[in-house]
Amino acid sequence: MAPNQHVLLSPAELAYLHEALSLTPPIRPDGRAPTQFRPLVAETEILPGTNGSARICFADGTEAIVGVKAEVERTRGYHGDDEEEGGEEKREQEREGQDEWVELTVEIPGYREDDASTAFLAAMLSEALLADGGFAKKLWINRRFHWKLFLDIILISPPLSYPLPLLSLTTHLALLSTRLPRLKSEGDEDPFFDDDWAAAPYLYPQGTATTRPPITLLVMAVGRNIIFDPTKEELAVADVVLAVSVGEAATDASSTKGKGKAPGRSLRLLSVRTVDPPSRVTPPGVPNATNSAYGIAASAQKQPEARTVEAQAVEGVWRAPRGGAKPAVMAALVQKVLERGGVADEVLDALDAVELG
Amino acid sequence: MPITITAPKAVRPSYAAADNASDDSDSDASSDNGAADLEGDIPMASSRRKEDKSYSIVTPGEVITDDPQWMRGHGTFVSPSTSAIVSSVAGTITRTNKLLSVRPLRARYTPEVGDLVVGRIVEVQAKRWRVDVGASQLASLPLSAINLPGGILRKRTETDELQIRTFFAEGDLLVAEVQQLFSDGGAVLHTRSLKYGKLRNGVFVAVSGMGGGSGVVRSRRQVWTMEAANGAGPLDIVLGVNGFVWISKHVETPEALIAETKSATTGITNLEESVSTTMYSSQNDRIGVETMREISRIRGVVTALVENGLRVDEDMLVRGYHEAVEMAMLGEGPDDIYLGGERGEQLAAALTGV
Repeated sequence: MAPNQHVLLSPAELAYLHEALSLTPPIRPDGRAPTQFRPLVAETEILPGTNGSARICFADGTEAIVGVKAEVERTRGYHGDDEEEGGEEKREQEREGQDEWVELTVEIPGYREDDASTAFLAAMLSEALLADGGFAKKLWINRRFHWKLFLDIILISPPLSYPLPLLSLTTHLALLSTRLPRLKSEGDEDPFFDDDWAAAPYLYPQGTATTRPPITLLVMAVGRNIIFDPTKEELAVADVVLAVSVGEAATDASSTKGKGKAPGRSLRLLSVRTVDPPSRVTPPGVPNATNSAYGIAASAQKQPEARTVEAQAVEGVWRAPRGGAKPAVMAALVQKVLERGGVADEVLDALDAVELG
Repeated sequence: MPITITAPKAVRPSYAAADNASDDSDSDASSDNGAADLEGDIPMASSRRKEDKSYSIVTPGEVITDDPQWMRGHGTFVSPSTSAIVSSVAGTITRTNKLLSVRPLRARYTPEVGDLVVGRIVEVQAKRWRVDVGASQLASLPLSAINLPGGILRKRTETDELQIRTFFAEGDLLVAEVQQLFSDGGAVLHTRSLKYGKLRNGVFVAVSGMGGGSGVVRSRRQVWTMEAANGAGPLDIVLGVNGFVWISKHVETPEALIAETKSATTGITNLEESVSTTMYSSQNDRIGVETMREISRIRGVVTALVENGLRVDEDMLVRGYHEAVEMAMLGEGPDDIYLGGERGEQLAAALTGV
């Protein structure tokens, strides 16, 4: 599952993949366009016992489920009514969230919960969610109580490719479908909720131009080609892999008045993480010239040592990429994600079209 | 449109409809037979299952029948305390007279002697390789079961043992034949033929093999060369019985090479014994852009066939490929080699409609 796990591909396969993906336009093994995603099947509110849930699966059987559960919790650090109430507007200003109000766990079959790669996935997803600070604010009930949100992200199939985009999109849908019971009590008294579930408001109110949960996209580059939603084989020859989290910027009156009615949405970059590509640990191919098992007179010129020495680049022979990523390539990757009307925009549009409930 | 998100399809609508149409009194009976049914639970396909249906899915541990007149077959066991027949796999029930067996929906490959398989080396040991062939155990390929380089059939030496990784290293793909089976189901492979050996110049795709459902089936020919469209030249296709598929550019068989170099010594009788010079090469030949596109297209056809529950064999693949080429010619746009999602369904519909 981890991107840097040892991928077992033969040097000949790696050389072929790298060559095909370096062409302009690249030829992906499954024939997709560079920015094309694998088709998804999505549904929401599948788990009746949760506040919000979603399921997404790929055609190859990779499937993820996310459930969101909310609990009322007493806010720590509040020491009774030591201050007088300061009016409504002051209370609104006090609405502030803390990051520990959201607990996110990722479960991947075959991997321990505290495995480094699983923890890294969870960290990337929660980092994007909490990056703008607006999310935890939504969980504020009053000065004494808040919602504690548990996000359980479960991949229910073996990880056939690096599951980050799948988990991120599923989390996005689950959060969109999350509803919290309507608050009936007022002020700082013990919270008391409406037991009519139909009246429960959505965590992210629909129809209004408020912010939405972020999405994290996996982008990779081979040469100058930028490829979205890479499969495991494609990741195995990547030069650079980035996990880019984007959110929709709040469309306040102040931000929209300058641009007017521009097509697409205004996207905000929330976080960027480099992911160690597995291509660096792949075994190099052996050119025919130095292959002791190659050629008609192979036994005659037998070399006593079996270890192969890596030589100059030969066409058709795989060499693992060396050195760091070029800043220009990294910038191009981020730019491609954030473009107006670009990939992230269309992904958000497609997610909008998923019916809730 | 870079992404398509669709709503899930109803679970086997035709089957469910037929089930309801046959007698809807049964569905009422099944709902109050004491089975736990949480409020608001999603109706599962299995809740409509009836004991007397010819098509029904059972899960491991599910009691198929406790009637003693039935005999247990593959995929079932009799629980020790009772005489009930219990399924040990998830699959469909088949009955032959009084024999009940369960055909698994999905199973690992079970090797049989003579099967042509594509495998990947996962482990190198002192005198043998361990090969992943998609079976429940790793197959083994002894050093004595490969053609050693050097032209003549020679005895393996200690030097060969020392440089075992120059023949096959971890991750290498190879095509081989199952030579022998151990009593526990483990397979021993051999590559003592010019047809077998290391694979290069192409792409690999793993689908399900012999065992259950769709995927590669045993057929007359597992390996063939076909002429690709759009001037891509001939392509080699290897359908391993284990469901591992290799699609590559066709390179001239080494027989010609050997014939010109050793025409005096190599006859038709010892052609098999003389080894291919390119057998252990891991360097790709130059592959044209058109060839790469057609290789990707065939790979797309294979995955589309599997995703739509069709078998993968020479006939289906060749027909599917021609259909895909035609679909690409009729359609427009640069993404004409993509065969996932809707396009895959179109392809499958065109193939099954004939």
